[in-house]
Amino acid sequence: MTHLTPIDYLLMLVYFAVVLTVGWMLRRSTKTSTDFFLSGRSIPSWVAGLAFISANLGAQEVIGMGASGAKYGIATSHFYWIGAIPAMVFVGLFMMPFYYGSRARSVPEYLKLRYDEKTRSLNAISFAVMTIMSSGISMYAMGKLFNLLLGWSFDASMLVAAVIVLAYIFLGGLTSAIYNEVIQFFLIVFGFAPLVFLGLRAAGGWSGLQVKLAEVSVQRGFQPGALTHAWRYMGDASQNPIGVEWFGLAMGLGFVLSFGYWCTDFLVVQRAMASESMAAARRTPLIAALPKVLFPFLVILPGMIALAVDWHAPGVGSHAVSAVGQGIVPPKIDGLTGGPLLDQAGHVVLDYDLSVPMMLIRFFPAGMLGLGLTALLASFMSGMAGNVTAFNTVWTYDIYQSHIKKGASDEHYLWMGRAATVFGIALSIAAAYVAASFNNIMDLLQLVFAFVNAPLFATFALGMFWKRTTGHGAFIGLLSGTIAAAIHHGISLAAGAVPGVKGGYFGAHIIYRSELGQTFWTAIAAWVTCFVVTIIVSLVTRPRPEQELVGLVYSLTPKPIEPVQHWYEKPAVLAVIVLTVTLALNFIFF
Amino acid sequence: MSTAARFDIRIPIGVLFLALGVILAIYGVMTRSDITLYGRSQNIVINLWWGLVMVVFGGAMLYFGSRAHRRPLHSPAGDETERREHQLGLERE
Repeated sequence: MTHLTPIDYLLMLVYFAVVLTVGWMLRRSTKTSTDFFLSGRSIPSWVAGLAFISANLGAQEVIGMGASGAKYGIATSHFYWIGAIPAMVFVGLFMMPFYYGSRARSVPEYLKLRYDEKTRSLNAISFAVMTIMSSGISMYAMGKLFNLLLGWSFDASMLVAAVIVLAYIFLGGLTSAIYNEVIQFFLIVFGFAPLVFLGLRAAGGWSGLQVKLAEVSVQRGFQPGALTHAWRYMGDASQNPIGVEWFGLAMGLGFVLSFGYWCTDFLVVQRAMASESMAAARRTPLIAALPKVLFPFLVILPGMIALAVDWHAPGVGSHAVSAVGQGIVPPKIDGLTGGPLLDQAGHVVLDYDLSVPMMLIRFFPAGMLGLGLTALLASFMSGMAGNVTAFNTVWTYDIYQSHIKKGASDEHYLWMGRAATVFGIALSIAAAYVAASFNNIMDLLQLVFAFVNAPLFATFALGMFWKRTTGHGAFIGLLSGTIAAAIHHGISLAAGAVPGVKGGYFGAHIIYRSELGQTFWTAIAAWVTCFVVTIIVSLVTRPRPEQELVGLVYSLTPKPIEPVQHWYEKPAVLAVIVLTVTLALNFIFF
Repeated sequence: MSTAARFDIRIPIGVLFLALGVILAIYGVMTRSDITLYGRSQNIVINLWWGLVMVVFGGAMLYFGSRAHRRPLHSPAGDETERREHQLGLERE
């Protein structure tokens, strides 16, 4: 356990003070429900863009991507370079005109305008439950991590973070969440950039890292370059640590899962919807994509470095307890024996989630350590705030206003939004305790949500680009996609996994090399089923009259003329820049 | 509808980074000869140097934020969008 010094606490307090002051100062400009839920549609695109990636920059990203870096190496960057980036470019160029132009106030509301009430409700309810759950899981992760690292009380650290997030959203609504997300973005960059610098310096630069990781790679039974090349070993699932071949990766992760998330998840799309103009809304995901391209260096590299360095440095002390781990990544502890956890083959199981926290402790002296931990706290809070603001909007507009109380005054919905913020956070805390006591229930819920989400992009893409798609088609397609995901998951299993929550409940007929491989192919099954069923059902049901679909479907919408002042404000120009950089990085780390 | 202006986001960013940077840099100057403290950062007095970087960044944010015009709650571009969409009949409220 590490002890913080007063300087570390001072830095954290300064951050909390600024965050709360921002919420306090914004309360006066939050007068209408549009101000509260959509920032009065007045956010400049660079601010919306940074909030767009920051809302997703929760614990999952900073801790999880570092963990994956230690587990899969540089190939983790596929989550960015063929995953998030192409999807963000697509949503900016092709989908934003319909989200923003339809004047829908949320993603489920777009489904209502395009299809019907039942499709909207299905999406709104599953989304609302999911945001609460993921915010709860992220709070649980935070409480557990700070308890382990610093000995803070699990309850107290969770409650303090929850109260701060509650305060600033309650006061300033989405604007406050967005402003704080931008602050959190810079804090994370400034907290992690020196970590990468010091870590790489200790490991002997990129070439030194390559040499050290080659040893680790061989030890794990792969070719020496398997951890430092993104594509070279993707030809065969058994040759790379991710355990998937290029087709499953490109289709499952790159196409289905990433487009499904970045193009339809209201958590991120909400940030673009708050923009001041259509052009700004289209630029938002493109501006977000620019720093996102470089994020692997900030969040994945620390995990890789953690494998290649050790605790030996003057003044570091007796952290060398993890002699059985790898680098500075400690082993998982076996709850029964208290010793390191071993897998079936007798190898030590590493606790990859601790890679990034251990890096902070290893390289940062008092002072910088406070900054790094503040950045970590900021990432937890920004993930939570993103979930809560998306939840209060979907709850108020798509569930409360459309099913519980129609036609009330704007003040009433503003009040409801604030109330939803309070019970959204209260429910997240409850979810965190559920996660703490029944780990399997949360695994199960996340699995169900994965099934619900996987087919979504087919529904949106067909709705936006094929005017013949009908509401019945969309609804039945979504349900079939979800069922297909559950069936595929039930007949497949990752090598070494036990049937149950990991799949195989209908018998293990297909065996994948890894859980990720199984996840990607489950998503592909769901997407294809939803796509085909939606088309078939649409063809046999009555389409909506074309005049009702203007502004909602590509072929029926007049191209809005967007006056931009500078060439670099053009969405197409930004898209080309982003894609060129991404392509170049794929080649450099091939 | 409110006509109050909203403050520029760069101002709180500037204030935060300036404050954090100054604290880190002062702490760095005070502890710069402490070998046990900076052993883990390979004898780089990282608090001082990174604190200074943050001061520069925070200062730049404050400078540009205070130079910019106060941003109205409803920007001309946003209002123009509303008007154009109204003409195209895209409005649904």
